Amino acid sequence: MSGSTTVRRHVTIPADLERVVDLRATVRELGAGCQAPPDCIGDLVQAVDEAATNVIRHGYKGEPGAIDMTAELKGDDIVITLEDTAPPFDPTAAERPDLSIPPHKRTPGGMGIHLMRLATDSMEHRFRPGGGNILTLTRSRVRRPKEG
Amino acid sequence: MAMQTMVERVEARVPVTVMALSGELDASNYLRLVDDVRPLYDGGARNLLLDLTDLSFISSSGLVSLYSILKVMQGEEPPDPEYGWSALHTMERDAEDGKTQDVVRLCGMQPAVAEVLQRTGLDTMFPSYPDRETALAAY
Repeated sequence: MSGSTTVRRHVTIPADLERVVDLRATVRELGAGCQAPPDCIGDLVQAVDEAATNVIRHGYKGEPGAIDMTAELKGDDIVITLEDTAPPFDPTAAERPDLSIPPHKRTPGGMGIHLMRLATDSMEHRFRPGGGNILTLTRSRVRRPKEG
Repeated sequence: MAMQTMVERVEARVPVTVMALSGELDASNYLRLVDDVRPLYDGGARNLLLDLTDLSFISSSGLVSLYSILKVMQGEEPPDPEYGWSALHTMERDAEDGKTQDVVRLCGMQPAVAEVLQRTGLDTMFPSYPDRETALAAY
């Protein structure tokens, strides 16, 4: 940790569902370090878990790989960046569930992404130079995300 | 944190199998939970109370396992776990059709876990109680 007010954590895990727990623990640690309320920490833990699980399951698909996570406080925002070298996939472009369509006629998949959207203020995806993805999740530590 | 389960049989007005979950329910362990319930059903359990007091986290995979557990307890095959939403859609359809159920009940949910169920609509699918004592008294 460099500056006296910097709250920042960094961790890398292998593409293994058993290791996503390390990302959740790191987010909790950062949240506690910047006095974020429990609902904020819970939301970010959820979003990171769902994002990383999607990358491991649907990106790496059992192939070896890694997820690199940086979490930091910027002003009143907690900003979490997840970087991988899995095939490009933009979760922010995934279709939102159309609640006007009867549930059994909706497209399968995307439940984790739905939870990520509800738990964050913004999700931004970039293609990683050289291959892979960079996903940035942002949530204010002082107010709840708008529903929907 | 790994997830652990502890099973107890309790004589309420009817026999109730109480399964207490502790730790975190995520994509690494959600299938095991369903596998833990199968022998209970096969052994004659027909009322399952999931005590979530010590469950600190549930992911979308965990929600699928709750639904799968319900199917097992109804004597049906659970859906393919790869189909996240569609599993829940089937459940929502069941609810729309007026198929309420009380074979699987929940108690002791922490706020973070309750929020995830609420955000996905699962909160309306399971009878839920603040604690084990209240839940058992409701049988």
